[in-house]
Amino acid sequence: MAATAAAVVTRPIAPEQASLWSDAWRRLRRNRLALAGVIYLTLVVIVALVSAVWTPYSTFQVGVGIPYAAPNAHHLLGVDGLGRDTLSRLMAGAQISLIVGIGTQILVLAVGVPIGLAAGYFRGAFDQVVTFLINLFYGIPDLLVALILVFLLGPSLTNIIIAIAVTRWMDMARLVRGQTLSLREREFIEAARAAGAKPAKILFGHILPNALGPIIVQATFGVPAAILFEAFLSFLGLGVPPPTPTWGGMAAEGIVTIRISPAMVIAPSIALSLTLMAFNFLGDGLRDALDPRGRR
Amino acid sequence: MFTRGTLIYIGQRLVLIVLAVLGVSSLVFLGIHRLPGDALFSEHLHGDQYQQTLHHYGLDRPLWVQYVNFLAGMIHGDLGESLVNRGVPITPIVLREMSVSAEIGLVALIFTVGIGMTFGVVAAIRQNTWMDYVLSTTSVIGYSMPNFVIATFLILVFGIWLDNFTQGTFYFQIGWPGRYGSIGAIWLPAFALGFPYASIVARLTRASMLEVIRQDYIRTARAKGLREAVIMVRHGLRNALIPVITILGPLVIGIITGGVVIENIFGIPGLGKEFANSILNRDYNIVIGVFTGYAALVGLANLGVDLLYVVIDPRIRY
Repeated sequence: MAATAAAVVTRPIAPEQASLWSDAWRRLRRNRLALAGVIYLTLVVIVALVSAVWTPYSTFQVGVGIPYAAPNAHHLLGVDGLGRDTLSRLMAGAQISLIVGIGTQILVLAVGVPIGLAAGYFRGAFDQVVTFLINLFYGIPDLLVALILVFLLGPSLTNIIIAIAVTRWMDMARLVRGQTLSLREREFIEAARAAGAKPAKILFGHILPNALGPIIVQATFGVPAAILFEAFLSFLGLGVPPPTPTWGGMAAEGIVTIRISPAMVIAPSIALSLTLMAFNFLGDGLRDALDPRGRR
Repeated sequence: MFTRGTLIYIGQRLVLIVLAVLGVSSLVFLGIHRLPGDALFSEHLHGDQYQQTLHHYGLDRPLWVQYVNFLAGMIHGDLGESLVNRGVPITPIVLREMSVSAEIGLVALIFTVGIGMTFGVVAAIRQNTWMDYVLSTTSVIGYSMPNFVIATFLILVFGIWLDNFTQGTFYFQIGWPGRYGSIGAIWLPAFALGFPYASIVARLTRASMLEVIRQDYIRTARAKGLREAVIMVRHGLRNALIPVITILGPLVIGIITGGVVIENIFGIPGLGKEFANSILNRDYNIVIGVFTGYAALVGLANLGVDLLYVVIDPRIRY
């Protein structure tokens, strides 16, 4: 009898000191696809940083090679129609994609989280207005909204980030609102309120940290959506104006001459797809790691 | 199925669609007047000629008079005339292009739902086998690929490589033959348009199918000795479809807007192609017309989806 009790004590049921985050990190590492996504994205970030100071050829200089040249030893991914090195432009294009993807999500977080928190916590008229706006924005095609905004504001990197954020903020607001609605009924929030905590303290000190998991997952899925959107706009010629290299714009230039120089369109297409895929795999992995209900 | 309540509901929705179309076109009308440049600039018109042309379009009048005239035209279904091709009325152009876009979108939707449901059901039935993993990974790859990337690779394979490889025996004509129901010419663009969304449908179908096939009524159906295929289709899929149809609305909007890119790549004369052309030409009257057409298309498509709910799920009534 005593021996059994000792055995139980020496074999702890749960891993020691496993906080939510270290637990999540352990589960994320076990997900091979998500890990591959992290590694690939690290590579993209490094390439983007390196391209800011060094690229094999100048990003903008025309005539560094024979126009439409196929990939060769000097130009690993070939040369575009103006004689610019495709590899150099591809590397610099990573900057735009990352800036747009992450910049948009920062804006979306800055707008969606406070609105969602306030709507879910205070309810009432404000909540009804927010819900109406969310439904309204879901009903209008996002591409048309973004296009009208780009028209009105003019095409530039900042304006495109704003335009994309305007079409994406409601994803975050709806999620945070839903989380807040369920969290505000929990006992620890009631305890905080009884202890005299102000609404701001409750919202940002108690509710937000508990909703952080789904918010991180949503933001991770939001990055590829924004990158895709920018690629769309650039593909239509309404994105970041040339000569700044963007993957969508490069693909648009390349598809016209797909017969004579397929590398021009294949290279940015693959770079774009792999980046989006890496973010989606990472998002899937994060969701499995952070969502306790989904534990296998 | 369509009771009196449903008809009233359809009437209300149609009124809302008209209001939304008016709203969108007004917004674009007012917004577009802030844009720089005009279509007449490149014609080098001077003096009287220029004034006459401006007067022809009513562009010499104050903005609010123009807007009232525009609204009056809209109510009569008249979108004005093209700034570049003088004297060409826009309404018939937009209507024809709407029908082209709608046809491509419809075929794309068939691909989306067909491929997505097949993938999802197979992945659910063979859960945790290699087939499930292959299909699930394909789904992630599918929605990570922008539709223009899929279109590019389809053109490379079907338009160029197969053509070269078979010495021209296999040749995919890229473009629009000008006939409706020409599935042979539009399955490729429709596939490129529909495939990313098929991945979303596949993930949703898989998840909802996995939940359904654990239900008691499936076990009852098995106990009755029904064939597995009948159980899966009649009892499983029918119920698994209900969560799937809720995303049909956003999906249809996605397909319609995705068409802007696909139509430009494949040279299909739909609304999307006109959209890009009219912006390049600065033919602002057509730009307004195209946005109006899109607003109408999206409204009607959403109404169609909502009516589809009634057909699939008899519990829903309006």
